[in-house]
Amino acid sequence: MDKKILFDIVTSSVREVVPELESHPFESEDDLVGLGANSLDRAEIVNLTLEKLALNIPRVELIDAKTIGGLVDVLHSRL
Amino acid sequence: MAERVPGGVGIEAINAYGGAASIPVLDLFRGRRLDPERFSNLMMQERGVALPFEDPVTNAVNAARPILDAMSPEARERIELLVTSSESGVDFSKSISSYAHEHLGLSRHCRFLEVKQACYAATGALQLALGYIASGVSPGAKALVIATDVTLVDESGLYSEPAMGTGGVAVLLGDEPRVMKMDLGAFGNYSYDVFDTARPSPEIDIGDVDRSLFTYLDCLKHSFAAYGRRVDGVDFVSTFDYLAMHTPFAGLVKAGHRKMMRELTPCDVDEIEADFGRRVKPSLQYPSLVGNLCSGSVYLSLCSIIDTIKPERSARVGMFSYGSGCSSEFFSGVIGPESVSALAGLDIGGHLRGRRQLTFDQYVELLKENLRCLVPTKNRDVDVERYLPLVTRTASRPRMLALRRVVDYHRQYEWV
Amino acid sequence: MGPVGIEAMNAFCGIARLDVLQLATHRGLDTSRFANLLMEEKTVPLPYEDPVTYGVNAARPILDQLTAAERDSIELLVACTESSFDFGKAMSTYLHQHLGLSRNCRLIELKSACYSGVAGLQMAVNFILSGVSPGAKALVVASDLSRFSIAEGGDASTEDWSFAEPSSGAGAVAMLVSDTPRVFRVDVGANGYYGYEVMDTCRPVADSEAGDADLSLLSYLDCCENAFREYTRRVPAANYAESFGYLAFHTPFGGMVKGAHRTMMRKFSGKNRGDIEADFQRRVAPGLSYCQRVGNIMGATMALSLLGTIDHGDFATAQRIGCFSYGSGCSSEFFSGVVTQEGQQRQRALGLGEALGRRQQLSMPDYDALLKGNGLVRFGTRNAELDFGVVSSIRPGGWGRPLLFLSAIRDFHRDYQWIS
Repeated sequence: MDKKILFDIVTSSVREVVPELESHPFESEDDLVGLGANSLDRAEIVNLTLEKLALNIPRVELIDAKTIGGLVDVLHSRL
Repeated sequence: MAERVPGGVGIEAINAYGGAASIPVLDLFRGRRLDPERFSNLMMQERGVALPFEDPVTNAVNAARPILDAMSPEARERIELLVTSSESGVDFSKSISSYAHEHLGLSRHCRFLEVKQACYAATGALQLALGYIASGVSPGAKALVIATDVTLVDESGLYSEPAMGTGGVAVLLGDEPRVMKMDLGAFGNYSYDVFDTARPSPEIDIGDVDRSLFTYLDCLKHSFAAYGRRVDGVDFVSTFDYLAMHTPFAGLVKAGHRKMMRELTPCDVDEIEADFGRRVKPSLQYPSLVGNLCSGSVYLSLCSIIDTIKPERSARVGMFSYGSGCSSEFFSGVIGPESVSALAGLDIGGHLRGRRQLTFDQYVELLKENLRCLVPTKNRDVDVERYLPLVTRTASRPRMLALRRVVDYHRQYEWV
Repeated sequence: MGPVGIEAMNAFCGIARLDVLQLATHRGLDTSRFANLLMEEKTVPLPYEDPVTYGVNAARPILDQLTAAERDSIELLVACTESSFDFGKAMSTYLHQHLGLSRNCRLIELKSACYSGVAGLQMAVNFILSGVSPGAKALVVASDLSRFSIAEGGDASTEDWSFAEPSSGAGAVAMLVSDTPRVFRVDVGANGYYGYEVMDTCRPVADSEAGDADLSLLSYLDCCENAFREYTRRVPAANYAESFGYLAFHTPFGGMVKGAHRTMMRKFSGKNRGDIEADFQRRVAPGLSYCQRVGNIMGATMALSLLGTIDHGDFATAQRIGCFSYGSGCSSEFFSGVVTQEGQQRQRALGLGEALGRRQQLSMPDYDALLKGNGLVRFGTRNAELDFGVVSSIRPGGWGRPLLFLSAIRDFHRDYQWIS
C-alpha cells in the first residue's frame, strides 16, 4: 500500500479521535502529543487505524511511533 | 484424605539450583573470625554464592529451565499457572514471574504472579497451585511454582552469614505426580504476627534470631497439632517415614525434631538421636551444601531425601514449612521408586558438587557486587564476561541465564 | 462442582479526597481533553494510613457480620498488593493480627501489579473448589496506594507526573470467598488468561509508579482482546455483546475502560457508534461509578468496579457480569460470575456510596503540604510517631465505627490504633 494512502488513513483516525483537528493541515513530522492527543487518544488512534487496515498485530508493537510519519512507516513495514 | 483427581495430584518434577559458586563454610568462619565452636551446630560444609550476573530472576529460570527442557512442547503448553515466591522482589509491582515467564518460554495463556511470605512463601504458593490442579476447573492443567531468593547478609549478620544460601527450587505440579503424591486435605497451619526477621530495605536483612528460633519451634508444635486434627490416627513417629523441614541451619531442625520427640513420644535421648539419623538426616545433605534457600529450603530438603535414600517402596514424608512474620504449615506426601528416576536426570548432586569453589578473598570481592542485586538502579551494565570463567558446566546444565544490563529499570537477560 | 464465589465484599477508600479537575488545573495541565478521561475525585492517603489500615478497615465490617465459628472457618488469608513495606515480612501477618483471625490460617501475600486482587480471588476460589477442607472460607484483601511526594525545594509542576497524579488513588477491597456465594457466584472454569513480559509501568521504588503510559494502554487493549478470545475458547457460546448483563473492568481511569469497551464492541459486535455509546452507558458505566471517585487502587480496582456494578445495576433478574483484570508487566484475565437481587441488597446495606461521600475534601494547600512530606513515613522508615493532626481540617475518628490507623513505627515494626 502506498504511504500516501496510509498517511490519509492515519490522519482520518486522528481527526475522528480529536475533532478539534478537523481543519489542521497534517505534516509527517506532527507528533501526536504536540497535536494535543493524550495517552487515551493516542491508543484510540492506533486502534482505529489498525481496524481500518484490518491489520491484526499486537498494538504494543506500535509503541515507538510517536509522529504521524512514524506511524505510517511502521504500519507500512507490517503490511 | 480427599482425592478428586484419579491417581492424585502432586509434584511431577522438581529441580534445585544452588548458585554458580560456593565457599567452604569453615573458610568463611576463619575469614570472619567466628567462633569455631559454633561451626558444628550449623552442620554445614559449603554454602552457595551468587555471581554478580545472578539475581532472583536468573535463579528462578536456572532452576526451572532443565525441567521444561525435558518436557514436550504440548506438555509445556499445559502450564497454566506460574507462581514465583520470593523475599527478593526486583520491583514492587512487576513480578519476578513476568520475567521468568518470558525466559522460560511459557504459553501466553498462563496466569502468573509472585507471592511473598518470608520463607513460608513457596509452600503457600504450592498449596494455592495444588488448589488449581485439584479443583478440576481445567483438567490436565499443570502449574509451576518457583522459589527464588538471594542473600543480602554480610559480616554484620555474624553467624547468619555462613548459614545463608542463594538459588532457587522449581516444582512442577500436575495430575501425574511422579515425584511426590500430595496427601490432599492433610495439612495444618499456624500463623500469628511476630517481628522476628524482616527485610525492610533492598540492602539489609534484620532479625532477632532468638525470637525466630522460638517461633519456629512454637509453629512446628502447633501446625503439627492442627494437622493431627484433620487427619485421623496421626503419630509423629510411625506416620512419617521421613521428615523434610525448613532448614535455616541444620541445628534448628535437630532442635525441632528433639522437641517434638520429647513431647510426643516416650523415647529417650539415644532413641531420639537414632530416629534423627534415620528420618531427618537424609534431608540435610543438600542444605549442608547450599545454606538456607529461604522459601525453597524445604523443597531442597525433599530433593535431598529422595536422592540420599533412593526409596525402593512408598514412603510418606512429613513436611514443615516456616516463614518469619510468621506463618507455617505441616503437610505431607508420598514418594517412591519413581521419584528417584524422576530426579535422576537433573543430577542436582552433580550440579552442587560441580560449583566453582571460591576462596574467602574471592567471596568478599563478589559480595560487594552481590549486595547491589536488588537496589533499584535506573541503568547499569553487568560485566558478565568478567565472571563467566568462574562458571563450571555440567551435562545436565549446559547453559544458564545471566543478567546483562538494566535499562530504565527494565532487567535484560541473556543465555550464556 | 458446587457453587463458589464471593459471600460478602466491602471496600474502604480512606477519609480524605481531592477534586481531580481542580488538581489538574492547579498543575497547569491541558484540561481541554480532560473530560474524556472520566475522572472526578481521588482518595488521598494520609500519613497515618497505609495498606494495612485500608485492608483492615475494608474487611472488618464483613467479619463483624460473622459468628465466631464462621470467623474461625477462614483458613486462608491472601493479601494482594504492590504497596508493601517489607521484602520479607508479609502484609498478611499484620492483617491477620488486626482482624483477629484464627491462628490455624494459611497466610500469603501476592503481587502481580493491578492483577493481584483477581489473582488472589481465583486462588481462593480454587482452594474452596479443591474440596480439601469442606466448609472452609477464604479472605482476600487487595489493598494499594500511591503517595506522591516532592523533594525538599522541589516544585510539583516540574515533575513529570502528567496524568498519573490525578488518576492514582488509595484504598482496599476485601472479599470473603466460600461455597455460599451470596454476592457473586463465579462461573467455574470460565477464565481466559493472557500475559507476557512487557515493561509498561512498574514500581522500582516504593510508593510511586514509573513507566510508559502509552505502552500500558496499548498492552491493556491487547490483553483485553486476547484474554476474551481465550475465555471464548473455554466457553464457546460466549458472546461479548450478548452474554453479559454488565461488564466490570480494571479501571486505571474511566476513559480507559470506555476506550477498551468501544474497541471490543467494534471487534466483536459490529454495532455502530451510537449503539456502542448506549451499550457503554447501560452495561459499563455502573462499574465506573466508584472508581471515578476513588482513582486507581491497583490490585483492588477491578473489585471496586464490581462493587459499583452491583450497587448501581438492575438485578430484578440475575445478571452475569463479565470481568476483566489487567496488571502491568503484564498479566490479565477475563472471567465471569452471576449476581442476584439478594447480592445487591446485601452490598447496598454496607453503604459504600455514603462512605465515599463522607471523605473530607482536601484543600489544595493542604494537599500540597502533604506532598512536601509533612509527617510522611516511607518505605524503610525505621522509627516514627504519627501525628493525627497533620492535616488540621481532618481528624481520624467519628466515622460511626472504629477505624484502624497507623500510630507509630518502632524499629521497622508498625503499630496501629483503633479510633472510634
